[in-house]
Amino acid sequence: MVQEKKRAINRLETMRPIRAEIDETYKQSVEAVKAGNPIAWVMVNMWLGDAILHAMDIGAVYPESYGAVCAAMGAAQSYLDRCEEEGFPTHMCGYARNCIGYTARMMKDLGGKIPPEAPMGGMPKPAVLLSRGSSCDAGFKWFQALARYMDVPMWTLEMPVPGVKEGLSEGVRERNVEFMAKELREFVSFLERIFGRKMDWDKLSQTVRDLEEIGRVWRETNELRKTIPCPMHSRDFWTCMNGPTTPTGDLKKKLKLYRDLYDEVKHRVENKINAVAQEKYRVGFTELPPWHSLKVFDTLAERGWNFVVETWGYHPPVPIDLTGVNDPLERLARISYSGFTTGSFQGAMQAGEYMGFLGYPNLEYAKEYKLDGFFLHPLLSCRAASAHLWYVQDRLMQKLKVPSLLIEGDIVDVRMFDLADALKKAEAFEEIMDHYKKVRREEGMEW
Amino acid sequence: MSVVEGTKGLSRVKELYQDRPHRVKELKAEGRKVIGYLCIYPVLEMMTALDLVPYRLFGDMREPITKADACLPPMVCPFLRSSLDLALKDKYPFLDGMVLAHICDVGERMAHIWRTYKEYPYFYFMDVPHTVHKAALEMFKEEIKGFQKSLESFTGKELSSERLKQAIGVHNDQRTLVRELYDLRKPDPPLITGTEVLQVMVALASIPVEEGNDLLREVINEIKQREEKPQKQAVRLLVWGSIIDDVSLIETIENVGANVVMDDICVGTRSHWPKVELTPDPLDGIANRYLEGIKCPRTFREAALDQGGKNYMANLENRFGYLKDYIKGWNVNGVILQSVRYCDTHGYEVPAVRDYLKSLGLPSIYLEHDYSQSSLAPLKTRVQAFLEVLG
Repeated sequence: MVQEKKRAINRLETMRPIRAEIDETYKQSVEAVKAGNPIAWVMVNMWLGDAILHAMDIGAVYPESYGAVCAAMGAAQSYLDRCEEEGFPTHMCGYARNCIGYTARMMKDLGGKIPPEAPMGGMPKPAVLLSRGSSCDAGFKWFQALARYMDVPMWTLEMPVPGVKEGLSEGVRERNVEFMAKELREFVSFLERIFGRKMDWDKLSQTVRDLEEIGRVWRETNELRKTIPCPMHSRDFWTCMNGPTTPTGDLKKKLKLYRDLYDEVKHRVENKINAVAQEKYRVGFTELPPWHSLKVFDTLAERGWNFVVETWGYHPPVPIDLTGVNDPLERLARISYSGFTTGSFQGAMQAGEYMGFLGYPNLEYAKEYKLDGFFLHPLLSCRAASAHLWYVQDRLMQKLKVPSLLIEGDIVDVRMFDLADALKKAEAFEEIMDHYKKVRREEGMEW
Repeated sequence: MSVVEGTKGLSRVKELYQDRPHRVKELKAEGRKVIGYLCIYPVLEMMTALDLVPYRLFGDMREPITKADACLPPMVCPFLRSSLDLALKDKYPFLDGMVLAHICDVGERMAHIWRTYKEYPYFYFMDVPHTVHKAALEMFKEEIKGFQKSLESFTGKELSSERLKQAIGVHNDQRTLVRELYDLRKPDPPLITGTEVLQVMVALASIPVEEGNDLLREVINEIKQREEKPQKQAVRLLVWGSIIDDVSLIETIENVGANVVMDDICVGTRSHWPKVELTPDPLDGIANRYLEGIKCPRTFREAALDQGGKNYMANLENRFGYLKDYIKGWNVNGVILQSVRYCDTHGYEVPAVRDYLKSLGLPSIYLEHDYSQSSLAPLKTRVQAFLEVLG
């Protein structure tokens, strides 16, 4: 009997049904469109605005997630090439180029039919495009560019982007929350006009509460990862990260799955079960991973690297007090603004840090998760995910003596990531992590 | 190079172009406070109204980026990298403050980096919505109020509505004068070259608005009276795209046989065309001008649903209809689209602009460069080939 090689990363069992549920929900969306139901293409987590779609029974497909699927399944290259042929610059977002290439193929070559080679049943033509004005410029420019191929209405959901100091000025938070609630109301009106159906406000209230609860459980799960050794690897985080923010499928079922996940991680903590065999280095990962080359994490796990925390923006918002807030739109606005966008501002201001959302949380993570280092992954085609990483590297070193390894790559385009080179650099980085562990101790830091 | 006392018109423009900070250094020595800003979203009228001198910062495509490498990576906008690089090299010791805005992803990140590494007595980060939704305009007006408060706190002065209206008037005068200047590009051959116009635009961004208005009047009179005119060329071009703050690219185009007669860039029509409407509450007019009026691809626009919002051509008309006026009014017969590499907001826009131009029967070419002198040389051949096709 051949003995199965033990995997270096001890994946969570409860992650698998979550993945299966996400995949199944996606397939149901595709089937729903084939049956004549309308569907929206949606930017991931347009600050939870997609809860509104769920309450209105509008199916959602997430082209960003589909970009990751195409990359992981080796199907992205032909769509990237097609995008280039269409006249778009090659430096643009890999997800966007994958989607634009895909759409050009579907609409220009196949008259709106799903390309037969598309993984997971493809993305059916949407009835509406729903983008976001926050997180990245591609979040709205990419969908706007799709208008070349589809006469489909579009809405861009706004989100304030204040500076740390300005955001903490008197009255700014309430003003921005009020703006977001208004913006959501306009968004609801837009959808009602497009789809000719009315919002079910009771259902929306329930959806928002369900999402809050899933988010709470998911956050507590991640809090358990502060334990040494860490019971859950970033690979499991990435598999599950979209569930709490994308309200697709049966939310009660989803909540149960996330509670199971929490129980398993808790069980691991109580029984000292690690995510990697020997946790030698506790590492944070910033920005999205190279989906096409995830084996890099298996190799590093064999060397004792445990990835224990990821980018703030992919984690659930910090809990906030919503007592007395009954309007579901205001709840969404408050969760997104106070818990997510500006949730780190108070700490940032106290620390004299001005990059609240993308920068300062890494410093907090380094302390709270007792990190030996960071793996920073600038995405060569994504300015939003990369522009700040050199700065983050400097702040981590200046303030906490935590070193970071910058390895350039891309989420979709495999040509931009050199696996062998990354591993070589990682090996050399171990000495640096060892050195700074001593430095931190000499300087009286906790870890 | 120092500015010669008493020079006027185009001579003064050239001096200011070559030594941009000269005048603000003088003003600083006289006790005025100088506020640096990037891009075209910080509200100039408020700074002027409070006796501050707004000074627009540019990059320097002739200066290698060295210091900014440590905090802003090579795969982002080279113009913004260059701007930050100059600040880190202490090229702006005369600044009393900075205003940076949420212009794009990198612009937003860079603002926080700038604030971390360079300390000024005053700093403000202005949030700018990405849409022109009604709620966004209301929010932007509130944001402008916040900016006003911060300026009042810095200067220790209260900004009255009357004073603000006066400043709006002076800035609107400048916008009117710039249109007069651009009218001089309408004849064939144009009375002023594209290179000269860009120098004027850079000069205007380097001095107080009142001085800029005097300078514009001098330049317009001089151009109208001068006998030597630019040479007539077979091709009249419009240049579209991301920032151009150095004459090299325009010179390159004009030297190979074209008249650059119009632009859609932010050191040109984008910054000067829209005026502030004088509304009972001046902040309404300001918010509308800066968010709705400025036509930069960083702001999302779409035709309303009942105005063909589902239709691609209707949306193109909504987004780029103003280009039709430029093309007709300035008798343009070709368009050069250009962008610095890694500018996403312009990059996504290129195929759509070309579709629109094609619908008007207008040929176009797209050029990308990395905001350095050396990157312009290879573009010359492509421009030549384009002109041959047009000629």
